[in-house]
Amino acid sequence: MKIENTKAQMRKGVLEFCILSVLKDEDAYVAEILSTLKDAKLLVVEGTIYPLLTRLKNADLLSYRWEESTSGPPRKYYSLTETGHLFLTELSSTWNALQNAVNIVTSQKNNKNE
Amino acid sequence: MNKTVNINLAGIFFHIDEDAYLKLQGYLEAIKRSLANSQGSDEIIADIEARIAELFNERVQNNKQVIRLKEVDEVISIMGQPEDYVVDDEIFEDEPHTNSSQKTHTKKKLFRDADNAYISGVSSGVAHYFGIDAIWVRLAWILLVFGLGTGVLLYILLWILVPEAKTTAEKIMMTGEPVNISNIEKKIKDGFENVSQAAKNVSDSVSQAAKNVDFKKSTNSIKSTSRTFFDSLADAVMLLFKIFSKFIGILLIFIGAVTLIALIISLFSVGVADIIHIPGFENIDILNIGNTPIWLVSLSIFFAVGIPFFFLFYLGLKILINNLKSIGNIAKFTLLGVWIISIICLIVFGIRQASEHAFNESYIKKTALPITAKDTLIVKMVHSHKFNSKRRHNDFKLTHDDHGNKVLYSSDIRVMVKSTTDTIATLSVIKNADGRSFDAAIARAKNIDYHYAFTNGTLLLDSYLTTNAKNKFSDQEVDLVLYLPENTVVYFNSNTKDFIHYRTHDDHLVSSKNTNHFIKILDNNSKCLDCPDWEEDDINIEVSTPEIKIDNNGIKVDSDEIKININSEGINIKSNH
Repeated sequence: MKIENTKAQMRKGVLEFCILSVLKDEDAYVAEILSTLKDAKLLVVEGTIYPLLTRLKNADLLSYRWEESTSGPPRKYYSLTETGHLFLTELSSTWNALQNAVNIVTSQKNNKNE
Repeated sequence: MNKTVNINLAGIFFHIDEDAYLKLQGYLEAIKRSLANSQGSDEIIADIEARIAELFNERVQNNKQVIRLKEVDEVISIMGQPEDYVVDDEIFEDEPHTNSSQKTHTKKKLFRDADNAYISGVSSGVAHYFGIDAIWVRLAWILLVFGLGTGVLLYILLWILVPEAKTTAEKIMMTGEPVNISNIEKKIKDGFENVSQAAKNVSDSVSQAAKNVDFKKSTNSIKSTSRTFFDSLADAVMLLFKIFSKFIGILLIFIGAVTLIALIISLFSVGVADIIHIPGFENIDILNIGNTPIWLVSLSIFFAVGIPFFFLFYLGLKILINNLKSIGNIAKFTLLGVWIISIICLIVFGIRQASEHAFNESYIKKTALPITAKDTLIVKMVHSHKFNSKRRHNDFKLTHDDHGNKVLYSSDIRVMVKSTTDTIATLSVIKNADGRSFDAAIARAKNIDYHYAFTNGTLLLDSYLTTNAKNKFSDQEVDLVLYLPENTVVYFNSNTKDFIHYRTHDDHLVSSKNTNHFIKILDNNSKCLDCPDWEEDDINIEVSTPEIKIDNNGIKVDSDEIKININSEGINIKSNH
């Protein structure tokens, strides 16, 4: 078992949640989403995001509109749909619960070790 | 100086170096392939192209600047490798869709590994399949070869049936790794590395040779001597093996070729035998009672024998010529199919042939002979000048009769003598033959021609039977039973000796020993009238009192009062008083 694979899987698991979170307050095009995720060090390479975006769009969680760009090709601006918002709320509560659980488990371990 | 290409990426125009273009094209192709199983792959590709265009756009200041390999590499490092695009379906399984096709990729398949081949790559292929080192498989072969040679057969079978891993995808499948872009790339890279390594080795050895010429011994030559010794020993053994395998190859080719040529010649000659009448061929036709077309039988035999030898021949060729083109699986399986069909045909012919002997029937014709008690009958055989006079069972000869018809001739004649209470003698001619059915056997038996003549107390029996060649040979035989009234005397000429059974049995009264003698027929018994006494084997004197016994052993008297025993040991008298 490679550590890289596990890391990638962990990251991929929360990626969907993070993409939706980025789009929660404002619409964004791919490069903006990417820069947010990259700044947070959640994404190493960009390739992963494209299939994810398409998948979310196909699940009606996202919608997009085309906007002209002064430099380069036209941009796809993504926004959350109604179901997307509901989905995100559900995911964040799950995430909080999960974070809690992970915190408890890992801190317990640490206490025992010390 | 570099040639450039113009490309349109997501509606934006770019100048790009040709090598950079090729790299980008390969990258996009690889992504397309890795996304082939995903939904909406076209849309994803369009998004990716748009992003790449954006990234390129950031890197060029004006329209005249060219995208170089450096930019493409940068973009690829940002975007990630093809497998990064594949979303792990197990994590993101939110819609039911088929991913079975992906699973089949990782299945290991058995191929022959020609890259690491010794003879044909069967061993290394099997080794890949079981995930072990090829040396163990090779050792197992050697053990199997010594164990009754089953290894050879199995090896040949695997060689024929297992395809060679030719494409990179097949080579990856052989090792059990999943077939994806990066693995294929890795494999190809490995191949290049192998080649470059080999080239390096060659250049190393050349420089080494140059050093040797200069008599400049390297300081660590002693250290490497032992290694080179074992290397050269291994090389020598390998060479020996190779020579041995080539020798086997030549042997196989020779055996295969000779057999094939012989088969082709014989097939050809059987095919034309009808026209040019090769001697001996007609005999085959006579034996063919099942009336199976001869060409079909010979074709079946040709394929049944020829195809295995063809494979042997092919195998030999393969051993000799390393990069021999395969005859293809279709050809192999077709040949296998033809072989099985011809074997089945031969079995069917065999059963048909055997079923012709299912019934053995007799056609009996009785004729009275004017012989009464006290008459003397002389029996003689009449031989034909055309045939030999010896009696032979289950043998036949094909000749032409006086009218030029093809006739089957057999000397399967038996003569028996039995006593009868009738006043007149009878000759019973029993014609026997085999057939597929009762009717066929009877018809064949009726078609047997057999003749005899009776003149002046002499019975002249033909020593042969004939039948039209159309009837085929199917155990035709004639039994002659001579029923003689008691007290008649019969004299068998010595030429009947072969045709009379040696022993007396089944009421058969005259042994072949007793030819040339006058024999008197008694009630179920016979008596030789002019045989010398010493010819009598057994003394049998009937004595009315049961106490006295006289036979070959001597005389025995066993009464209540006395016991007398006279034999070759002497006389022994015992009184019971």
